[in-house]
Amino acid sequence: MGARAATKEKPATRTTPKTSLARPWNVLVHDDPVTLMQYVTKVLIQVFGYAQDKAHRLMMEVHKTGRSVVWTGPREQAETYVQKLQAHHLLATIEVVDG
Amino acid sequence: MWAARFDEGYVLGDITPASAATLKGVPMLLESADVRVRQRLLPETCDDPEDEQQWRQHAVPELERLFASRAHLVRTDLAGLRPMPKSQNQLLLIPFAHGNAWLAALNAARLALFVLNELTAESMEPDAFATVTPKQQEALLRIHLLAEVQSVLLGDLELESAGPFADFVIE
Repeated sequence: MGARAATKEKPATRTTPKTSLARPWNVLVHDDPVTLMQYVTKVLIQVFGYAQDKAHRLMMEVHKTGRSVVWTGPREQAETYVQKLQAHHLLATIEVVDG
Repeated sequence: MWAARFDEGYVLGDITPASAATLKGVPMLLESADVRVRQRLLPETCDDPEDEQQWRQHAVPELERLFASRAHLVRTDLAGLRPMPKSQNQLLLIPFAHGNAWLAALNAARLALFVLNELTAESMEPDAFATVTPKQQEALLRIHLLAEVQSVLLGDLELESAGPFADFVIE
C-alpha cells in the first residue's frame, strides 16, 4: 500500500496570478477532434461535481457548437477550474463576461 | 488485445509487440518538448497578453510538474509489462488508483500523435483512412488503440471480472 501511495498522482497546488475582479469570468471548453466524448463528460463531473445529465449536456454543446461555457464566476476560481481542465488536456480558456 | 477487471485494477492481455511499443510511447509523448505538442497540451488560455504572461509564469509550471508526475507513474506501470505464456504478447496491470492518471496520459498521447502527424478532424473520420499518408495511417492506428484503452478505463466496454486473474498481484 505504501509503495502504491508513493506513486500516486500528485495534485497540483495553485498560486493565484492575480487578485479577483468584480466582473465574472467564463470558463470555456472548446471542441477538439481527438478527445473522447465520454472522457469530456467524466472530466466535467470530476472537476465541477456536475451531475451526469448536466455534464453530458455541456459536452454535447461543445461537440455541436464548438465550445461551451461550462462555468461562470469569480476570476480566481475560474483560473483554478481552467487549470484543472487543462490538467486533463481539455482545450479550456477563460474570458471576462461582457457587459 | 483483451481487457478484464480484477480486484485491484484492470488487466490488459495479449498486447502485441506493436501495441506494447505504442503504450510505451505514452509517457514520452506526454513529456514531449516538441513545440506543437506543447502548444496543444499547454494552450493559450487568456485573451489579454498580460494575463497570458501571468498564466505562463504561474499556472504552466504546475501543469508541467503534474504531467511529469503522471509520466513517471505510467512509466512505472509499463515497467511491469510481463510476457504471456508461449507468446510474444504481453500483459499489463493498471491499478484502479492509477486510472485517472492513465486516462489523462492516454489523452495527451493521442493529442500529441494528432498534432505531430499533422492530422485533421476530417482525417479522424473512418472513411478517410485510405486518403492519408502511410505515416498518418500508422498514427491513426495508434490513436485508436489508445482510445480503446481509454474506453476500458472509462468503463465503456463490457469487461469480464476477475477470477482467472486472481493470481496476478500488483506490487
